[in-house]
Amino acid sequence: MNAQNNGMPDAFRVLRQTVAAATFGLATLAALAPEVAHSQTIKIGVPVPLSGSSANAGTDIVNGAKLAAAKINAAGGVLGKQVELVPEDDACDAQTAVQAAQKLVDAGVVAVAGGYCSSAALPELTTFHRSGIPYVLDASTNPKLTEMGYDNVFRTIGRDDQQGPFAASFIKNSLHAKRAAVIDDNTTYSKGLAQNTVDALKKGGVEVVYADSITPGQMDYSPTLTKVASLKPDVIYYTGYFSEAGLLVKEARQLGLKMTLMGGDATNDPTLMKTAGPAADGMIITTSPLAQFLSGAHSYVDDYTKAYGQGPGPYSVYEYDAVAVTAKAIADAKSADPKAIVAALHKIKDYAGLTGTIGFDPKGDRSRAVYITIIVRNDQFAAYQRQDAGGHWVAMK
Amino acid sequence: MRAPVPMPARPTIVTVGLLALAIALPPFSSNYVIDVALTIVTYSILGLGLNIVVGYAGLLDLGYAAFFAIGAYTTALLETLLGFSFWETLPFSVAFAGVSGVVIGYPTLRLRSDYLAIVTLGFGEITRIVATNLDITGGPNGIYGIASASLFGYEISSPRAVYELGMAFLIVVLLFAVRLGRSRLGRAWTSIREDEAAAEAVGVPTLRVKLLAYVMGALIGGIAGSLFAARFGTIDPTGFTYLQSVTILIIVVLGGRGSIPGVILGAIIVAGVPELLRFLNLWRIFGFAVALVILMLLRPQGLWPVRAKRAMPHVGVSGVPASPAPPVMAGAGETLLEVRDLACRFGGVLAVGGISFVVRSGEILALIGPNGAGKTTVFNCLTGVVRASDRRLFWCGAPLGGGAPHRNVHRGIARTFQGIRLFGHMSAFENVLTGMDHRLHTSLVSELLGTPSAHAEAAEHEAQGMRWLDMVGLAARASEYAADLPYGDQRRLEIARALASNPRLLLLDEPAAGMNPTEKYALTELIRRIRALGVTVLLIEHDMTLVMGVSDRIIVMDHGVIIAEGPPAQIQSDTRVIDAYLGTAEEDDAAGDVASGERSLWNS
Amino acid sequence: MSTFFQYVVEGLTIGSFYALVALGYTMVYGIIRLINFAHGDLFMVGAFIGWTSLAAFASAHLSLALALAAAFAVSMVATGGLGVAIARVAYQPLLRAPRLSILITALGISLALENAVLLIYGAGFRTYPHLLTHAGLNLLDVQITFAQIGIVAVSFTLMLGLYFFVHHTFLGTAMRALAIDQDAARLMGIDVERMIQLTFFIGSVLAAVAGVMEGLFYTQINFFMGFVLGLRAFTAAVLGGIGNIPGAMAGGLLIGLLEAFGAGYVSSQWTDVFVFGVLIAVLVVKPTGLFGERVVERM
Repeated sequence: MNAQNNGMPDAFRVLRQTVAAATFGLATLAALAPEVAHSQTIKIGVPVPLSGSSANAGTDIVNGAKLAAAKINAAGGVLGKQVELVPEDDACDAQTAVQAAQKLVDAGVVAVAGGYCSSAALPELTTFHRSGIPYVLDASTNPKLTEMGYDNVFRTIGRDDQQGPFAASFIKNSLHAKRAAVIDDNTTYSKGLAQNTVDALKKGGVEVVYADSITPGQMDYSPTLTKVASLKPDVIYYTGYFSEAGLLVKEARQLGLKMTLMGGDATNDPTLMKTAGPAADGMIITTSPLAQFLSGAHSYVDDYTKAYGQGPGPYSVYEYDAVAVTAKAIADAKSADPKAIVAALHKIKDYAGLTGTIGFDPKGDRSRAVYITIIVRNDQFAAYQRQDAGGHWVAMK
Repeated sequence: MRAPVPMPARPTIVTVGLLALAIALPPFSSNYVIDVALTIVTYSILGLGLNIVVGYAGLLDLGYAAFFAIGAYTTALLETLLGFSFWETLPFSVAFAGVSGVVIGYPTLRLRSDYLAIVTLGFGEITRIVATNLDITGGPNGIYGIASASLFGYEISSPRAVYELGMAFLIVVLLFAVRLGRSRLGRAWTSIREDEAAAEAVGVPTLRVKLLAYVMGALIGGIAGSLFAARFGTIDPTGFTYLQSVTILIIVVLGGRGSIPGVILGAIIVAGVPELLRFLNLWRIFGFAVALVILMLLRPQGLWPVRAKRAMPHVGVSGVPASPAPPVMAGAGETLLEVRDLACRFGGVLAVGGISFVVRSGEILALIGPNGAGKTTVFNCLTGVVRASDRRLFWCGAPLGGGAPHRNVHRGIARTFQGIRLFGHMSAFENVLTGMDHRLHTSLVSELLGTPSAHAEAAEHEAQGMRWLDMVGLAARASEYAADLPYGDQRRLEIARALASNPRLLLLDEPAAGMNPTEKYALTELIRRIRALGVTVLLIEHDMTLVMGVSDRIIVMDHGVIIAEGPPAQIQSDTRVIDAYLGTAEEDDAAGDVASGERSLWNS
Repeated sequence: MSTFFQYVVEGLTIGSFYALVALGYTMVYGIIRLINFAHGDLFMVGAFIGWTSLAAFASAHLSLALALAAAFAVSMVATGGLGVAIARVAYQPLLRAPRLSILITALGISLALENAVLLIYGAGFRTYPHLLTHAGLNLLDVQITFAQIGIVAVSFTLMLGLYFFVHHTFLGTAMRALAIDQDAARLMGIDVERMIQLTFFIGSVLAAVAGVMEGLFYTQINFFMGFVLGLRAFTAAVLGGIGNIPGAMAGGLLIGLLEAFGAGYVSSQWTDVFVFGVLIAVLVVKPTGLFGERVVERM
């Protein structure tokens, strides 16, 4: 029956197949096998998207980490050893993220600073939690991450449920708006911020005439803007990313809409002005302080630009601080044991980072997250207003 | 063409060995490898499910992730909202996925394959967007806090434990997929892929069969979804995008559409290679894309294409009586089929313009006429391929017409085609089986489980198939591809396939076309033997020797109407028939030419 | 009421882009029955080549009109050439292979194009210089910019040109013959391979024009921009009846209008569901699309 197999009898064929399969299997296992952990360096993992549509943000974050690591190593490293960064691509996808996280664990990282997409950060966090490795988030603002009851999670960035009320207060008390429209892009971060803002606006007595999502990746949002315009809001607040924000702003002005346009902290990128051109003038953005508005960070912008040929994106400076505060915790703990690092991180109350004073509350959130508003003038971001201790809106210098 | 190798009925040592190796993986590898392996297992399950839809049934589905999502969300919601345990959610997630398969499949399965692609894509996107927009599904955040499965108190939450759970699921799905491929449903799907219209015309309920493919695929997708939810403890809509559907499709095609080992290999490559290529960083996906293109160019049939498995009959032919079981006999001479004022229009062309005739049980009736007379159209009306009003056709006294063609086959009308329409990539034996499958009594479930009664009926079924083949003289070539048979054998195979459904009335459409005189003589004998079995024959033919020799009665059509009717001798001398069709013996030098009797050029 | 007409204006603008790209899908499908998943990415490549050309010509201090024309020309030729190259290298060898294989190859090419641009230009967004005037008309409270009129006009002209080409020139007739029966066409002396390449060339050129116009009008381009648009354009082609050229044009405009009305009257976040819902409803009633022909099978 099997005569056509080049005259080879059945048994040999089976044997050949088995050997081939086993060889393939072992080779795969070998290729995937974890590297032997070097104990000569302090390894810090950086899981971010390095492929796909968020690759830009991920690269920006890695760059920030590299600057921090370089500075630390130039000063002698930590515990007498050099800091080694281990970036891994999580592709903003849950399955890839888990694998990336596991790879980092196997590679022997003692701490992790990074993260971008919440849908990837959460599975990563669970993986790190299992091994007791601390995860310092630089960009994920979704409250969910610190509400899981895990002790190993920390944030240098604020949370959506802090920025929302801040934006609402600005809309009500600084802009004195009576009617507001809130648009999001239906992703985790954006929707969370939008919902928090809408809730706060309603509580403050501002009428929310429109709260809906657009689809990112489109080019033309004129129909949505036409619809919003027909409802006559005093202000439109967009909680998505700078790419869509630029298009929205441009198209809104093109349609002749005159109301104030605002954006959340993911819209603060120069691409916004390049896309919208003069239409962006006067747009107000709520954000954690950008590097150029931070008293301590002027040199950071210069260093980044010198090293990478373009200005830093919105999150790299938070990553810089994440790496730096991690190194500080390691030094405090006088140990590279992840559990000790976690304990040391929880004890940090007054670390002077580039983004301000960093301390962590029991959940791991940043205890004094500060938000400011900036405004677009002449194709540049300029500091606009902030809340003083009494909650009043004052101009920033 | 060499004889195809039969697929072994039991898994080979190699297969069992590899599976054992896979199950024993955890103690030997790091958590990272386990995680990758678990992703491979998940994609394997998904691939096996899509393979049923795309590989077996040939339906292009670009929205398969919808079923994945439904399974995942069902498990997630039932666990978090109602406190179900993982195992309790499984039947629901499978059920919902199956129901959604029916909902998506039913309105769309009439569409041609490429339209089906966009519609399935649309459903996939709609599912994802609904999950993203509704609050109850958690919106873009999705659902978190999904408890892991637990077995007898042991919580399955570590990567190794979840991996073993995944392997268990994979093995169940594997067995299901393999058994399905070898069942009558598998044959039906192959026949649809080969020639859907012909399959319908030999009794395969094509719409229902396609729907079943959808539903089976959906069930498996649902299982994979539940596994996914239990593995991560949190799900969100970004795991169920169009890109995810595309990835699963790549797995199926890369491995070899329809091939089970191919799908596993595809999953290993699609999930494993990007991991191997991590060192390439930004070049990772680009490298993968280029590799994919090159692989497709080098091996378009897939990396591990389906082997030429051809079902071999388990019984030999010898020692079995040559006459197949006789069909239910109608009283000889009774009116079997009555046609009244049948008319048929195609756009502006009146192909059949109001004809009436009867077919009596036990007779051999021939329908002749020049090309374009409307003869095949009459056949198409009788078999339901072309819609005829049901007040025009009567079968055994009851109205016939409307409904899908396969129903008429189940009622007892079978046909062959003017241009041979066999299932080329199935063996002769399987072609015949496909024609008789609708007569099986055991349920599909019994067949899949392999119960003793199912086995018994399958054996009898196969024996019967061999008898039909033997009757037309093809028993020796049972295991050859139908496409490889010589022309004359193909014609006979078509007849065997039609006979296999135990019809009362057999419609033969130009069965002698392209045959040499010896073959025609054998065909004449065959037709007589068919009648001797109790099957009434209605045949369209142009070979007058054959027609005159074998028919009891002849009906002559021209330009869509009947111009004469009666016994052969009467027809031969009918002047209208001669004018229209036969030609006059003295004037036409080529009177012996058995092609259609066109008028000689000299006569015009 | 003016809002309604505003939506119409917006829908036609959006739809013009879809129509131009849908033509490419439909032409290729008509000829070789391939859903060319890489087509949306050719639109994206066209936009990027246009951007690069503009940057180069700007530094060469050409006049605005000349720079624009040159950018269009370069992009059209280069993208057209790329389309032909892909057809020759990746698709034509597989024309006799199972249909699913060529489909997967198209998916691979799509991924490869996106990532190639990602590697060359980086993941960041590039912006076209602001060259188009924002001036427009205000008719009865409806805002129409001259740029929008220009886009619709250019698209219409190209579509009409294509229609004329396909129905009134020898090459066009040859293409139509090929779409009906490839073997018979070959026997009639038509160079099938050349015709296939010509089809890809024309489709890619149209996509390139759409890409450059998109860049000029919306300013922002990135390596992923072909994805959503490609999907919608493909939907448009199917809605109109895939393989049917007027159908692709009609389908494109219709999808654009549906999108506008969906966002305006239904809800922005349900727009895609609305569009797909309409598509499915149409196909259930007319299984071969709005203008598609039923293929009568001879049994």
